[in-house]
Amino acid sequence: MMPIWTKSGEKHAVTLLKVQDCHVLRYVPKEESGGKSAKLLVGGKNVSPFSKPESAHEIFKEAGVPRKQKVTTFNVTEDALIKPGTPLYAAHFRPGQFVDVTGKTIGKGFQGVVKRWGFKGQPASHGQTKTHRRPGAISTNKAAKVYRGKKMPGKMGNIYRTSFGLKVWRINTKHDIIYVNGSVPGHTNCLVKVRDSKLPTYKDCNKNPPFPTFFADGDEELPEDLFDEEIFQFTDPSVTLT
Amino acid sequence: RVSSDGKPPKFQPPPKPVIIDRKTQKEERRFLSPEFIPPRGRTDPLKYYIERKDMIQRRKVFNIPEFYVGHVLAVTTADPHARDKSNRFVGICIQRGGKGLGATFVLRNVIEDQGIEICYELYSPRIQAIEVLKLEKRLDENLMYLRDALPEYSTFDVNMRPVPRMDHEEIPVNKLQVRMKPKPWSKRWERPKYNIKGIKFDLPEHQMKAAQKWSQPWLEFDMLREYDTSKIEEKIRKELSEELEK
Repeated sequence: MMPIWTKSGEKHAVTLLKVQDCHVLRYVPKEESGGKSAKLLVGGKNVSPFSKPESAHEIFKEAGVPRKQKVTTFNVTEDALIKPGTPLYAAHFRPGQFVDVTGKTIGKGFQGVVKRWGFKGQPASHGQTKTHRRPGAISTNKAAKVYRGKKMPGKMGNIYRTSFGLKVWRINTKHDIIYVNGSVPGHTNCLVKVRDSKLPTYKDCNKNPPFPTFFADGDEELPEDLFDEEIFQFTDPSVTLT
Repeated sequence: RVSSDGKPPKFQPPPKPVIIDRKTQKEERRFLSPEFIPPRGRTDPLKYYIERKDMIQRRKVFNIPEFYVGHVLAVTTADPHARDKSNRFVGICIQRGGKGLGATFVLRNVIEDQGIEICYELYSPRIQAIEVLKLEKRLDENLMYLRDALPEYSTFDVNMRPVPRMDHEEIPVNKLQVRMKPKPWSKRWERPKYNIKGIKFDLPEHQMKAAQKWSQPWLEFDMLREYDTSKIEEKIRKELSEELEK
């Protein structure tokens, strides 16, 4: 995470996400997939092929791509289909766009009710016998049962969670890095899934996205760094307010 | 010796002694700002490389002078609430923290009997100028104890003129021992954990001895805490000098 300053001098914290060896693996048409739209399987970071059996390598062999650590699905419309085997780059996103990032949260192990659910616990003194971080009562007398989903101690973290509506501030095309506003679920160097935001406020934010994706061997020559309009670039002199 | 013509051999003067002045060679001081050195961790070095590129870019446009803890600096920032939209603050640098673009330094001064500390970010675009008024290192790297010292040690004239610097080589170390207000202090500065050499402790002997109870003499031998930055520093210095010359 890094700080980033706007032209008016305000500071925002930014997470760096690297797009590492992403390839489209397979196209699943709408009828075969159980959902409402066609799906594209996309694979992430390259990993050694020797730790899994040959049967698991079929998808990667079809696409002509080394074995990937993570395979995710994206719901895609019919006009945005991409041929399996095409690499995906960070320039697929543009600064000023809004994005949802999904990742597996940091695992905290078996945790008590105070840390896991934010219960207040009991006072430290004034006669409490061996009761300082316990849940207290778990149901009422009339219910005569404990409801399903009652908040209790258990394994915390290591589940998929999404941060919605994160602004993309900057894109580095040389190293394939996306600068995304705020924090993102997961530990450092973990794999995350970045999608266009599904929030209704950001439906029409992306004016001219590279459609269906950014092709590196195309005619478009992008500069090394793409900045949002509001970012203070370090090539400018210091900010003077009027 | 057998002579060539029967005459005595030509006088060979003894070789002149070559004096290698090791002292001046070692004092070739190369300063590397502490926020360039990456901390120990599992982050990808690519992140630090990219951050360094941004820092170098900022340094090309705006001059960040070399300074240590104990220097007296004057910082002009852009302030939306001031009349001239800019604000000048003079103070002694108490501490330098943070790594990368978020590096900060805290300036302390006492203005009209009110102690003020302001934490500035080195790479913030709001900072318009940083001037070093007085160059002087102190015995410690963290002068937070000035909060509990007598206010005369933290007062600096706001209209102070920059002290002219004699040599371009040495930065003088001020071995000032600061006198403190009566206890209680904000932190127990006599404890060995803080390792402060710049305070004149007027405490009774038994209190100083009792403070030594919290000493952890094994810490300096702990090998897992060792972080040798010499090679990393060399690489970063090379990179910096190359980039700044461009």
